[in-house]
Amino acid sequence: MEGLELAPQACLLDSGASAVRMGVHVAELIGLDLEDASRMSLAVGGALVTGRSAEVTLEVSGQGSSHRWSAPVWFCDPWHPAFGLLGLTGFFDQFEITLAAYEEWVELRPLLH
Amino acid sequence: MTEGSPRTVTVAKQRFELRREQVERAMRGVLPEPISSHYVTIGPRRYPPKQVIGLLTGLDRADFTSHQARRILMGLGFPAGRLMPVAVQRSDEEQPGMPPPVVGIADNRKRELVETLRALIGQWVAVKDDELLVAASTPREVVGWLAQHDRRADSMFRVPEDQLASSGLAPL
Repeated sequence: MEGLELAPQACLLDSGASAVRMGVHVAELIGLDLEDASRMSLAVGGALVTGRSAEVTLEVSGQGSSHRWSAPVWFCDPWHPAFGLLGLTGFFDQFEITLAAYEEWVELRPLLH
Repeated sequence: MTEGSPRTVTVAKQRFELRREQVERAMRGVLPEPISSHYVTIGPRRYPPKQVIGLLTGLDRADFTSHQARRILMGLGFPAGRLMPVAVQRSDEEQPGMPPPVVGIADNRKRELVETLRALIGQWVAVKDDELLVAASTPREVVGWLAQHDRRADSMFRVPEDQLASSGLAPL
């Protein structure tokens, strides 16, 4: 995430999540002011949380290549998962994704919008 | 609770009496500095031996060697180790058009990381090349440590308490 290049956030690929969700602590770490951000009550992993949305620049990298894009991220409070969640809007709509769970690799091909 | 008997050690021509419990107490809450090669394990964390002895004795770190510091701490019963080199093995069976499958990233390193993380449940950690860089109580401390030591992690996360937390589900 832009502003947090020293500490890339581990995330789950979560096709069951409608958007990208992260803990509100991530917004605090990058100094994002969510005071005027749109706010919504969300169900995350079976818990009701308050999410506030902001457009941020995300980057995924691996195997010597990387890709950056801009997406709305919902910063949630409280936050129970150990990682961020990469959901449909903002992540799955950005890539063609091949997941080989048995061989433990995933390939992301950026879509040209 | 009784404490173990002290060990008298000489560092830079000065004598010190050190106890295992004293070392554990002194290092509680102290974040380890980056490890370049050798380390000692105190509680759930790994420290460069010179950082520990420097902190305990107040001596300038130039006054003793890493080997001396390691030997003293091992004498107090702390396990010591050395970082393993990064080795990436790739499959010989790469197929055209497919990403090269990584068949094993130094399995021992991975196993060691898993064991290390077991002792850090609930803590925030930063990991690079399957090595733990830092563990702390808050994400801010982890990021602060990375900035202070000019290090970049591969990933940062909270060590999940259980399967539930690692799957993204809320506690029941």
